[in-house]
Amino acid sequence: MMNLNPDTLKLPQRELAGQADKPILRLEAIRKVYGKHVVLDDLNLTLRSGEVVAIIGPSGSGKSTLLRCINMLGPATSGRVVVGDLAIDESIPPTAQQLTSLRRSVGMVFQSFNLFPHMSVLRNVSLPQERVLGRSRKDADKRSRELLARVGLAEKADQYPARCSGGQQQRIAIARALALDPQIMLFDEPTSALDPELGLEVLLVMQELARSGMTMLVVTHEMNFAETVSDRVIIMADGKIIEEGPSKEVMRDPQTDRAKRFLKAVKDR
Amino acid sequence: MNDLLSFWLDSLPALLDGLTVSLEVTGVALAIGFPLGLLLALGVQSKARSLNLISLCVVEIGRGAPALVVLQFAYFGLPQAGLTLSSFAAAVFALAWNTGAYTSEIIRAGLESVPIGEIEASSAMGMMRVDTLRFVIIPQGLRVAAPALLGFATQMLQASSLCFAIALPELTSNAYVIGTNTFRYMEILSLAGILYAAICVPATIAVGVLEQRLGKHTR
Ligand SMILES: Nc1ncnc2c1ncn2[C@@H]1O[C@H](COP(=O)(O)OP(=O)(O)O)[C@@H](O)[C@H]1O
Ligand SMILES: [Mg+2]
Repeated sequence: MMNLNPDTLKLPQRELAGQADKPILRLEAIRKVYGKHVVLDDLNLTLRSGEVVAIIGPSGSGKSTLLRCINMLGPATSGRVVVGDLAIDESIPPTAQQLTSLRRSVGMVFQSFNLFPHMSVLRNVSLPQERVLGRSRKDADKRSRELLARVGLAEKADQYPARCSGGQQQRIAIARALALDPQIMLFDEPTSALDPELGLEVLLVMQELARSGMTMLVVTHEMNFAETVSDRVIIMADGKIIEEGPSKEVMRDPQTDRAKRFLKAVKDR
Repeated sequence: MNDLLSFWLDSLPALLDGLTVSLEVTGVALAIGFPLGLLLALGVQSKARSLNLISLCVVEIGRGAPALVVLQFAYFGLPQAGLTLSSFAAAVFALAWNTGAYTSEIIRAGLESVPIGEIEASSAMGMMRVDTLRFVIIPQGLRVAAPALLGFATQMLQASSLCFAIALPELTSNAYVIGTNTFRYMEILSLAGILYAAICVPATIAVGVLEQRLGKHTR
């Protein structure tokens, strides 16, 4: 596990005024079953606009499955996902329009970056804008360069992803998702494939994003990130939320035995 | 020795004419067969039942039936059904079908080599399936398939020699005719072999170079 220097992560209080209480994402009774195996067990969750929520928990507890239900990469067996004005019943196939609208609102960053290796970094960030939002090449490139600069990679625009380090690739993937102007960003263990120093660059970008007011749901193994950057921490086990609350409280003083055991195991590692 | 060289020299124009026809028929068959192979690969992967079934049939017949049989079917058989093809058209029909059927497997393997994560990232961003195919899957899949496709192209040039069976005046037919007239089969077929090799050997080397080049941007 990486040790983030607490000073680098010390944040000014984020501005959440005005919209702080407006729910932007609501998961209602999300249930996912593979055969007899219940992977998500009637899970409920609400995110307010601008909130940063970390999900931690042992591997196999259903964290990735949950994120994939939210953007319907892997729809749940039953339950509802509400994003802004859009309500989707997971048990029936969505209309093309619902799916497009959902995926425009929700960006996702994967553990394995998933950049397109045959395109330059700039094309990686611009192409989805052109195809999904209908931006012109010129406008898309302009936005891409702004975002690449924001993640500290302006000079990599014309390189191919293979010429970039893992940390750089993940920052490019973040820029690519942000370029579509999502309302919510999902992160599925964005630093797990990275060496600690490279993971740190990515965490700093995520921290900056959090500070800018982006609504974020972050599955992570980075306990420092969970404790110091996120507003709220959710601990999952066996497809359920076993503990949930303000980050410091949950991380320092978990209530359930299962959560205590998990946190102890992680901290001892 | 001098005798052989002058025989070869005398025969060369006819053989070069034949080689031109061989290259033409192969070229046209590939120009139709490769796109057909891509369509069949997409058809075989498709979830639409009927499309899937038709593609499978076209592929399995194309792979199952010997090229010579399809060739003769097109040239001698189809007229019975009221469709008379020139020997060139019949050759293109048979070789293109054969190419489409075999390359669909090569192309499908190429398409399937594109990591699922990239496809998921693409759909998570809201890209339409056709866009994902067009910009992510097909370019990378074809790049992976390219060396095998070019290798197949050289095999197809060789397979075009089967067209002597339907009297297409390609390289092998012309060599055979000269052989019949002069009884110097060994000499003339050797020259034909050298001409095939003159195309195929450099092509094979080019495939190797291409393979290295294409590896450059990927992991
Ligand atoms: N396609 C699948 N088929 C069957 N079981 C699956 C599939 N995907 C995930 N699972 C199971 O779902 C559970 C949760 O997986 P996952 O969401 O990946 O956990 P986490 O991300 O918390 O490590 C695991 O027990 C896993 O084996
Ligand atoms: Mg996971």
